[in-house]
Order: sequence, then C-alpha cells, then structure tokens
Amino acid sequence: MSSIRINPFPIPDLLQALEKLQQQQNTATLQLATGSRINQPSDDPEGASQLVQIHDEESQVDSFQSSIGTVSGLFSTADSTLSSVVTVLQRAISLGVEGANGTLSDSDRADVAAELSGIQTQLLSLANTSYRGQFIFAGTAETTPFVLDSTSPSGVRYAGNTGTNFVTIGSGYQVQTNLPGSQVFSGAGADVFQSIQDLITALQTNSGIATAVDEVGAAFRYVTSQRVFYGNASNQTDSQSTYLNSEKLNLSQQENAVSATDMAAVATGLSNGQLAANATLEAISRISQSTTLFDYLK
Amino acid sequence: MSSLFGTMAIAVGALGAEQGAMNATTNNVANVNTPGYSRLRPVLLENEPVIYGALTLGQGVSLEKLESLRDPILQLRIQEETQQQGQLNTFVSGLQQAQVQFTGSGNDIGTAISGFFSSLNQLSTDPTDLALRQGVLTAAGNLANAFNNTAGNLLQQKTTLDQSVTQAVQQVNVLTAQIAGLNTQISQLEGVNLDASALVDKRDVLIGQLSGLIDVSTIQSDNGLTLTTSNGTALVAGGQSFTLSTQTDPSGTQHIFSQASDITAQLTSGQLAGLVEVRDQTIPGLLSQLDTLAAGLANGLNTANRAGYDLNGNPGGDLFVPPAASGQGAALNLKVAITDPSLIAASSDGTAGSNGNVAVLAAVHDQPIAGGQPPESYYANLVSEVGNDVSNASAELDSVQSILTQLQDQRNSVSGVSLDEEAANLVQYQRAFDAAAQVVTTVNDMLYTVINMGTLTG
Repeated sequence: MSSIRINPFPIPDLLQALEKLQQQQNTATLQLATGSRINQPSDDPEGASQLVQIHDEESQVDSFQSSIGTVSGLFSTADSTLSSVVTVLQRAISLGVEGANGTLSDSDRADVAAELSGIQTQLLSLANTSYRGQFIFAGTAETTPFVLDSTSPSGVRYAGNTGTNFVTIGSGYQVQTNLPGSQVFSGAGADVFQSIQDLITALQTNSGIATAVDEVGAAFRYVTSQRVFYGNASNQTDSQSTYLNSEKLNLSQQENAVSATDMAAVATGLSNGQLAANATLEAISRISQSTTLFDYLK
Repeated sequence: MSSLFGTMAIAVGALGAEQGAMNATTNNVANVNTPGYSRLRPVLLENEPVIYGALTLGQGVSLEKLESLRDPILQLRIQEETQQQGQLNTFVSGLQQAQVQFTGSGNDIGTAISGFFSSLNQLSTDPTDLALRQGVLTAAGNLANAFNNTAGNLLQQKTTLDQSVTQAVQQVNVLTAQIAGLNTQISQLEGVNLDASALVDKRDVLIGQLSGLIDVSTIQSDNGLTLTTSNGTALVAGGQSFTLSTQTDPSGTQHIFSQASDITAQLTSGQLAGLVEVRDQTIPGLLSQLDTLAAGLANGLNTANRAGYDLNGNPGGDLFVPPAASGQGAALNLKVAITDPSLIAASSDGTAGSNGNVAVLAAVHDQPIAGGQPPESYYANLVSEVGNDVSNASAELDSVQSILTQLQDQRNSVSGVSLDEEAANLVQYQRAFDAAAQVVTTVNDMLYTVINMGTLTG
C-alpha cells in the first residue's frame, strides 16, 4: 500500500475543535451580556489600559461636576444675600433722604433712626449668612464673622479672617469660592455698618444727614461692585459645567470606541459558531455510528 | 525432488504462519482503544528454497516476527511539543488567575485610586464638613484594601503554585521509577531477542506523561534508554532512576534539587517550568510594581498631608503608615495611619475653613510618583502588561496545541489501528489458512493413494 495511511481516530480532533468552538461561544456570550469586548486585560491589553485612564478621567469629571454643583449653591446664596444687602441699603438711603427733610420733627427723625437700627440688625444678619453650616463671609474662619461690639465705632466688629478658598472644577482649573466679609462690607471710602451707624447718629443729632446719606450711597455702590464677583464666578462654573458635560460625552464615546461590543458582528459570529458546533456534533455522531468492514463480514 | 511429506510440512508451516498473522490482527483489534498502542504487523518470510539439480523448490513461509509500527522521530517531536504545552498551559492558567485582580471590577486598584482623588475634590468644596472628611478616609481605606487584596491574592496564588511544584516533582519521581523498571524489563527481553513492543508502548506513554511535567531529552544507547533534562540533569539511565527533591529556601519557596544541585532556574519546559516561571518571575514582578505604586502613592500623599494643617490647626501628619524605604511589601501592608477625619490636613494656613492644602493632596493625581509616572498611568501600564503576557502566552499555547494535534494525527496514521484494515487482513489470513488446510487434506489423500498402491496391485 503506497498511499498515505490516514489517521483512523478522527474523534479526538473533532472534540478539540468542539471545545474551541464552545470557548468562542462563551466569549461571545459574555461580550453580548456585558456589552464590552474587554472583559479581562488579555482581551485587549492596550484597550484595557486605555479604559483604566478613561474611567479615571470620567471619575475626575464627575467629581468636578459635583464640586460645581456645591459651589454654584454657594455662589447663588452669596449673590442673593448681597442682593438683599443692596435692597436694604436702598431702603436706608430713602430713609436718610426722608430724614433730611427739614419739616420732620425730632420724634419723626427718632422713628426713622429706630427703623435704621432695625436695618443695621438686618444687615448684620445678612452678613452672617451661612451655606451648609459655613459662614459665607467669614473668610476661612469658622466663627460668626460679624459681631456686635460697642467699642467699635460702627458698633460691629469683623471676627472672620481674610482667607480665600479655591475649588478645582477642571484639570488645573480652579475657581475662587469666597470673598472675606471684611472686603465685601468695607472698602476704600465705603463701609456698610459704619455708614448706617453714621446716618443714625446724624438723624439723632440732626446734623450732617446729607453727608451720611452720601456715605450710605457709597456703601451701596461698593457692595454692588463686590456682588459682581459672585456673578462672574457663577458664569465661570456654568460654562465649565457645559464643557464638562461635553467632555463626559466625549469620554463615553471614547470608551465605546475602545471597548463596546460590535453587537451585530458578535451575534452573527455566535450563530455561525452554533452552526459549526452543531455540524461537528453531527459529524461525531455519524462517525460513531459508521460501519466498518467487520459489519459486512457475516 | 520434493516429497509429499515435504509438501505437507510446507502446508503445516503456512498454517502456523497464518495463525501467527491472525494473532497480530486479533491483538490490534483488541487494543484499538488502548492509548499509546502501536499496531502490530506480521513479518512473513519466504523460507530458503532447496536447490535440487536444475530445480529450485520453495520451502514455504514462516512468521519471522510481529513488528510494532512506530516512528521514533515523531515520538520525540510529540514529547517536545508536550513539554511546551505543559509549560504554557500552566503559565497561562497561572496568569489568567493573576489577571482577574486587574480586571475593572469596581474593587480594583484603578477604581480605588480614582475614588480617592474624587473624594478629595469633594472635600475641597467644604473642608470643615466631617462627612466629607470621613469620605476621604473611607476612600483611603478602600485604596489600601484594594492594594492589600490584590497583593494578598497574588501571594496566595504563589503559595498554591509552590504546592503544585512539590506535587509535580513527586509525579516526576513516580514516572521516572516506572520508566526505569520498564527499561530493565525491555533490555532483558531484547537481550534474548524477544519482542518487547508492548512494554515499549507503555514506556512511550509514561515518557509522554513525564514530558508534560518536565523537559526531557531521550538518548537511546546500547545499554538502554537515558532520560535527562535539557540541561543534562539525569532522570533515568537504563534501569536506574534519579529522584528529584524539593527544599525550602529561606523565603519559604520550594526549590527543585537533583542530588545536591539546584535545578529550579534551569528548567525550560514542562509543567514545572511553567509553575516556576509564574511563581518566581511573573508574580514577583507584578508584586514589585504594585509595591512601587503603593509606596509612591503613600509617600506622595504623606508629604502633601504634612504640608498642611488639620481641622484643629495643627500641622498635618502622615495619611498612610509610611512604607518601608525599599518599598518591599508596600502594597500588601498599605494602611491608613489615621482614624480621626479631622486629622486630614485640608487647611493651608491653619484656619479651619481653608481648603488650600486639599489641592496639594489632589495634585498627587498628576504627579510622577511611581516609576516616573502619575499613579493612574502607572496602573494602566501594569494592566496592559498583564494582559499582554496572558494574550501572548495564550496565542503560543494555541499554536503548540495545533502542532501537537497534527503530530498526534501523524502518529496515529502510522501506529493507530484501523478496523477496516484489520478486517481485511483477517479475511486474507483466514483464506490463506483455509487454503493451507486444504493443501494438507489433499496431500493426505495423495498419501493414502500412495500407501494403498501395493494393496491394489498385490
């Protein structure tokens, strides 16, 4: 016999092929179930490494977003507080103008002064506004920033500090989150509490009322200018938030590009594999039923 | 001139030869499913003819031997590939267990690093908030746990591999003793010119098993079969086997000894080589990189924490228990040093509400603290390294597997029993036997005629 003798035992080879098909089907099923073609580093080492970085960036973006959520609340609280301060100061100016009217009696002026005292208290309360347990105008101090103090000319003393905080809202992007109360309520030629105190004194003594009203006006303009800081900060965080949203989308697109299962391809592969596995099984069963020459030697 | 008795003798000889041939077929059919069995083929030889003047008279047939059909070269190739397969199989399954640690499961180191820096970003929004401070401590604890668990699991795997080394060495010793025993029997049989093919088949099976465990070189010489490892360590020489032993080194790792010499690092293939490679190279390599990362993070964050002030206005201390200067064991032993959340040094100036130092802590995320890389990049590289190791070794295993399949197909095409062939042979031998028996009957009749010749004439 000169022809090459063939392997009389085909079944072990077929079983091995079957095992391989089974393995491929398991992989495909896992890919379909998880939606990811990278379920362990060896599935795509480079991709798995990219995924680690992408997930880290996503986690960073999430935490920046969450920080923005928190500081936005702080900014809008500060802004609306200062808005109230401005309104109250406007009311003080009208009261001062009213008090300057020469037709008023002493007792009328005393009433106006009394109302201004109320305004002073109101301003004190506004200056001590807190957000989530933190005084927003105390600098980086933990104490109530503005306290009554009879030894102070304005009757109010600043007990906070001049510290400022920054919060990171992007990679290498920080935003200042506070202005110290000492800066918000007093600046060059303007002091909120002093001006109200001066107006009260002027009304009580009926002298220099117009000057005192001008003083309150200066304080009004000063606080208005300070309020711009919070408006700007809000704008900054809003636009950063928009950027982070698109960054997040971008990252999830990257993640998809790296790891998403090509559903159609995998599903097709799976059904092809099924077909091949069935065919192999069929072949094995045919072989085991097949006859040998012995069957004919009867 | 031939005689009737001579013819009778030829026919009887043929009966014997065909019976012997049938014995080969019977044995083949009986062993159709025996692993490692090499089919027998009867070697029939024409007897020396008798020359009688001008006549040359055939003297019939005799069965010289039953020959085992095997290809020794193929057998050697199968052994080689089996060794490769044994090594790669062990290596891949070891690495696959290791890479589970580096799968983005949510409990992995990468996620824990992200989570920790995320918690710092939260803290920066309100440094006095104890809940946020606790969040940072919890995230630091998770980070330490992720390192502890990953390193712990790798070490556990190393211990398991160590036990497998001891078991594999025991199996090697059992097999070499059996092979040496067979060597003795085979050379005894062959010494008196007897057929030892059944024992040779058995020995081939055992050598195949041995090849799965250790690298084996086979040398066939006049005084039997010698087995050595590829670096020349004797395993079997003729009827003598040399046992391997294991000894524990100071670090508790099992080393493989042949007599007095340590051959652990010299094994190149077989299951033992795979076990040793994962145990002594891959896992220690991963552990050392984890240590670098853990030590880098701990030192970087400790330095950052010491740069600030805690909630009570005191200078910050260590956030993590400082790792050993060598970094060794840093991953396994990483531990948060503080339990009081107020000790996180968020403040840069000592005031409680300052968050200036949180940014210093968070900046470690982008600092080259491990092997010149930021922590997450270092970890990402580690993941790709593990993945590459597994996928390369798996690809190699696949190719060895298919080579081995082909070689086994080839072996079977030479040595495997085909039932069709045996059936045909059976018929052939039976017919020849029938014919020879018929000759005997005919000669018998002729002899009868001859014996009764005198009676008829007289």
